[in-house]
Amino acid sequence: MKNDAAILPERAQSIRFSECSGDGIKCESASVSGAVSQRACVYCGARVVLNPITDAFHLVHGPIGCASYTWDIRGSLSSGEEGYRNSYSTDLRETDVIFGGEKKLVAAIDEIMASHAPKVIFIYATCIVGVIGDDIDAVCRNAEAKYGIRVIAVKSPGFSGTKKTGYKMACNAIMSLVTPDVLPEKTCGVNILGDFNLAGEMWIIKNYLRRIGVEVVANITGDAKVEDLKQAPTAQLNLVQCAGSMTYLAKQMEEAFSIPFIKVSFFGVTDTSDSLMRIAYAVGDKDVIKRAKAFIEEEKNRVIPLLNKYRKNLEGKKAAIYVGGGFKAISLIRQFHEFGMNTVMVGTQTGSKDDYEVISHLVDEDAVILDDANPAELEAFMKEMGADILVGGVKERPLAYKLGVAFCDHNHERKHPLAGYEGTLNFASEINLSMNSPVWEIIGGINNV
Amino acid sequence: MSKNLVNLNINPCKMCMPMGTANAFYGIQKCMNILHGSQGCSTYIRRHMATHYNEPVDIASSSLTEEGTVYGGEKNLIIGLENLIKLYQPEVIGVSTTCLAETIGEDIEFIIKNFYASHPDETVKIIPVKSAGYGGTQFEGFTRALRAIVSHVEMDTAKHNTINIISSMISPADTRYLKDVLDQFGLDYILLPDLSENLDGVHQSSYYRLPMHGTPISEIQKMAGARATIELSDTIKPDESPGVYLYENYGVPYKRLNLPMGLRDTDALMELLSELSKKAIPEKIVKERGRYLDGMVDSHKYNALGRIAIFGEPDFVVSAVRLCCENGVMPVIAATGSACPQLKEKIEAELSKLADVLFVDNYVILNDVDFETIEAEALRLGANLMLGNSDGRRIEEKHGIPLIRCAFPIHDRIGGQRVRTLGYEGSQVLLDQITNTILKTVEGGFRETLYNTYYNEGPKSKYGLEPETEAQMKVLEYKKTTDPLTPQAQTIEEKTANHPCYSCGASQKNARMHLPIAPKCNIQCNYCVRKFDCPNESRPGVTTDILSPEAAFEKYKLVKEKVPNLTVVGIAGPGDALANFEQTRKALTLIHEHDPNVTFCVSTNGLMLPYYAKELAKLGVSHVTVTVNAVDPAIGAKIYKHVDFMGNRYHGEAAASILLANQLSGIKLLIDEGVIVKINTVTLMGINDTHIEEVVKTVKDMGCFISNVMPLIPVKGSAFEGLKIATNREINAIRDKCGVHLKQMYHCKQCRADAIGKLDSDISLDFRENEARSESKTIVSPKGLRFAITSKGGMLVDQHFGQASELYIYDYLDDEVQFKEKRVIGKYCSGEEECDEKEDKIGTILKALNDCDGTITMRIGDLPTKRLESKGIKVFTTYDRIEDAVKTAAQEILKSELRTAGNF
Repeated sequence: MKNDAAILPERAQSIRFSECSGDGIKCESASVSGAVSQRACVYCGARVVLNPITDAFHLVHGPIGCASYTWDIRGSLSSGEEGYRNSYSTDLRETDVIFGGEKKLVAAIDEIMASHAPKVIFIYATCIVGVIGDDIDAVCRNAEAKYGIRVIAVKSPGFSGTKKTGYKMACNAIMSLVTPDVLPEKTCGVNILGDFNLAGEMWIIKNYLRRIGVEVVANITGDAKVEDLKQAPTAQLNLVQCAGSMTYLAKQMEEAFSIPFIKVSFFGVTDTSDSLMRIAYAVGDKDVIKRAKAFIEEEKNRVIPLLNKYRKNLEGKKAAIYVGGGFKAISLIRQFHEFGMNTVMVGTQTGSKDDYEVISHLVDEDAVILDDANPAELEAFMKEMGADILVGGVKERPLAYKLGVAFCDHNHERKHPLAGYEGTLNFASEINLSMNSPVWEIIGGINNV
Repeated sequence: MSKNLVNLNINPCKMCMPMGTANAFYGIQKCMNILHGSQGCSTYIRRHMATHYNEPVDIASSSLTEEGTVYGGEKNLIIGLENLIKLYQPEVIGVSTTCLAETIGEDIEFIIKNFYASHPDETVKIIPVKSAGYGGTQFEGFTRALRAIVSHVEMDTAKHNTINIISSMISPADTRYLKDVLDQFGLDYILLPDLSENLDGVHQSSYYRLPMHGTPISEIQKMAGARATIELSDTIKPDESPGVYLYENYGVPYKRLNLPMGLRDTDALMELLSELSKKAIPEKIVKERGRYLDGMVDSHKYNALGRIAIFGEPDFVVSAVRLCCENGVMPVIAATGSACPQLKEKIEAELSKLADVLFVDNYVILNDVDFETIEAEALRLGANLMLGNSDGRRIEEKHGIPLIRCAFPIHDRIGGQRVRTLGYEGSQVLLDQITNTILKTVEGGFRETLYNTYYNEGPKSKYGLEPETEAQMKVLEYKKTTDPLTPQAQTIEEKTANHPCYSCGASQKNARMHLPIAPKCNIQCNYCVRKFDCPNESRPGVTTDILSPEAAFEKYKLVKEKVPNLTVVGIAGPGDALANFEQTRKALTLIHEHDPNVTFCVSTNGLMLPYYAKELAKLGVSHVTVTVNAVDPAIGAKIYKHVDFMGNRYHGEAAASILLANQLSGIKLLIDEGVIVKINTVTLMGINDTHIEEVVKTVKDMGCFISNVMPLIPVKGSAFEGLKIATNREINAIRDKCGVHLKQMYHCKQCRADAIGKLDSDISLDFRENEARSESKTIVSPKGLRFAITSKGGMLVDQHFGQASELYIYDYLDDEVQFKEKRVIGKYCSGEEECDEKEDKIGTILKALNDCDGTITMRIGDLPTKRLESKGIKVFTTYDRIEDAVKTAAQEILKSELRTAGNF
């Protein structure tokens, strides 16, 4: 099958068909106009990283759309306050755009302070705020002076880069929140960076660390509380899970607070086990190492027999992946490998050059690799490669179904955990139940008539 | 009361204009929509539409960047149009502006003119819509796109006998219904827009990414010659209305109607269609109307209990309010997030009339409102029902007010594309949903409500209004007064409070120790395989070493020294404590003499309980756990393979009967002795899951203290290896049911037989003596080896040596790989040039590596390889997980060392 119709010339460099199609993949660049990119924007990147902070207030300065579409958008869970699940907007109108929105922003902050007692307010500057020139830094400064709380500007106009730029803006906001006047003494705890407690995954990871005797200082940002975040500089080590969004913060923390970081992954049995051992060794406590080993053995003995049951249903099938970041794509390829499945197409919205190099080592030579793909490409390559299942987000789901391809939602709206040992079981179960559903026999039957 | 803050919108009850335009363009044949603005807008809109319609939704973006924002987005938009045409070959393109494009002042008409000028052969019809997000909501955006369509398409003014139908934002299923009605009247019509197929497609063997259905441009061109326009929206402003546009420019007479929901608004449409077609209303429709009337009567009394909050787009709110009012469901809130001041005037009379009949004091009509206000008003006005889109779900979740989802968007249910609300049939579907939601509340709660209101003969424990304490208090009192045998420093209440298994609070602070002294078992449960003694599983009946009673006593003393909060000593197998009663007795006696304050607990299957219950009490055992999986021998027979009793092996129901009889009489004896009894029950899906409540009821009547319903832990090789495992939710549902009868244990951790510590931190490993080592053929090195690894992510050896700015240092000892530290080095290679300086750099790197035995990297040049090897540092190139790579490399070094030593 020829895919010429599905690939724009501008996009050709962002797609790798095989080992010999050139050196590296074009990525980390602006989306091609008219290509129907699956990406969101800078603001979205910033919001998804900061939103899980449960006792923070998120005020979106701009017209209503941005606040409306991101209201309670992530399935990140809270053990305490629920305030973060609200969406606050200055709801700018025509006149505000003409005369400026600063006054409204000031008044909106006053209204929040009149009825709530937030510990921190994040002010997101969206597209038109960047254009009409509201001085939100000044507004934030004045509000901080007036109310004695942190009011932090997150400059995230949609046009100012990609979603990844938004991650950086969020990391800067976190740094601004947690940087103390004087560096405190170190404790023996660690910070977890880049887990957003989707479906309770942060809790699962913390349970594991508790089992092996590692204390957690701050969760960044799943189920985070402002006071805990402020303790982050006392940690002795940072564990970076979502590398795409959080390596930037980890590097800043390494420099400013002398906290070294290691990268971890809790997707799949092997990654989870390796990560726990790596954490144990990095902490360096003999008891911790001993407990980690025992715990991993115990969990493996529990989980692997169950996974093996699924394996016979999964082996030999072909997977396609289209997800947000490179970290997740890499983890997924490895998990599929553990199931005896082959990844035939893999793409990300915001993967980096490094991510793609790793990916190209993990997949077969003829696997398709895509950066910032669009529906036309996803359609063409899923068909060409004969994918049995697509792992993606909600926008990709209906496309997969139309093409008769099973689907696994690995996005922030998932309602069951996919991290850790239990998450691996859920993942295997979801892959199996979608891919081996009886509907495909019927659908396939119709198509073959 | 309305808080409706002026400067702050909390939880928006609206979306933005481009959302409306995107929906409208999806009803045009072979049309694609591009949003002129930054990338996020189109993605958000696609996401929202995709979950509602369950269809692929492709909307392009001109992906404006910083540069486009400053210098104008013409270039971006033109490239966008070109790309869109290449990918989709559309016949129509709708260009919707966004906040950004409007704010920077893009002149779209001009850009489109330039596009046609530079693409003279292009036949695609481009329709621009000004749709700044701040200019209105999706409701206005939808109509504005329709108006843009009729005003940009070149009209053919030749008169014909067709009528125009312009719809509001209705579901694909409702659109199909509307077409069916028009067909029944035999009318020729042009429906604008028609998203019935594009957003609710049939499954086909080939998929077309371009929406192939919808209203074709060739039809739209004829709208100017139609004999009439029916516009199914009566709240849009005339200057935004496509119907008014067609009238003003082409003289097409128009009539605006409410959305045809409910009797009266559907009647209005049918009468108009009858008039236009000069035909009586078809029999089929007359019957539908009759059935709706019948249904209205059937449900009217239930409906009067409804206090409903209706929110959404103005058209929807008007018609939904009228449907509710004619059925006696009182709307206490009628709210729209759009700015629609005329809403009040349209529905005020309806509301006030019904409020008078039902003596409802207060209701509100809210305009330009957010959900924060709707939420506050719903609570204030006692709404017991909500009607609208799924954005009301947070209020539903928070306050338990049920939400009927029947408008766009629906994110948390399936079938948004099939929502039916229009016509008599749609009204009936909606009304049934409303009535049934009311009935569910009434039917589900009336027993409880009446019991709580009127029952006054004793504590109201049936539905948990008051705690049921009597039974357990009796046991406690009895114990206090009648046990002179063992002088106890702690009362049994204190012991229970301090027992981590019996008190949830204690599970956080107090530690317990299980002594693995009982190897034998006298029954065979189908979920258990006793021959495996696995040191790494945590479940009842698993332990590493069996201890003699004396050794157990020694271990107790050792642990007590290190774990001062040790308050409980238990015997939980790995077999059955009473099948090994000699050992149990001995161990308990030894410890009791040493420390009379310890709380003893024993767990057992209960088979031998009638024989040892009294003695257990004498030995100071205050808590006994009995595993009772069934109180019906027929069910028990499925759970127990055999029972060994008095020298005989029993099978089937005979076995289960003996076990059950002994359990029950044993429990009775224990309770008579004042011992606290906990009942464990393993949930076996399909076997005893529906029977557990019966078990709990039975043991509750006997005076047991607490019940612990546990999930099955599947054990390989056991008969129940493949049994479905109950989910946490299922377990908790069973616990909730049983909780009505007997206190439930929600914090069980299913400890090992030799567990030590608090419930959530098993530290028994620290006390285990002979940790099993796996035998393998790996060569164990007397000395450790150290490796430097280049890695980007810290997970894999995935970096070129020259590119590394840091090294991961790992140690290898006893076939174990341990992460040591990260060392920062300067990059050895910084590009093609400055190769002269490499000499110095590699010198620095060598220093950083001088304590390493090897380096593992993905790729490395010849020169650094030689330098490293000359220093005795082995070089390995691989692409692997770090841990695996280190093991492989270490084995290679060790093997080569052995070879050189001549031992291999």
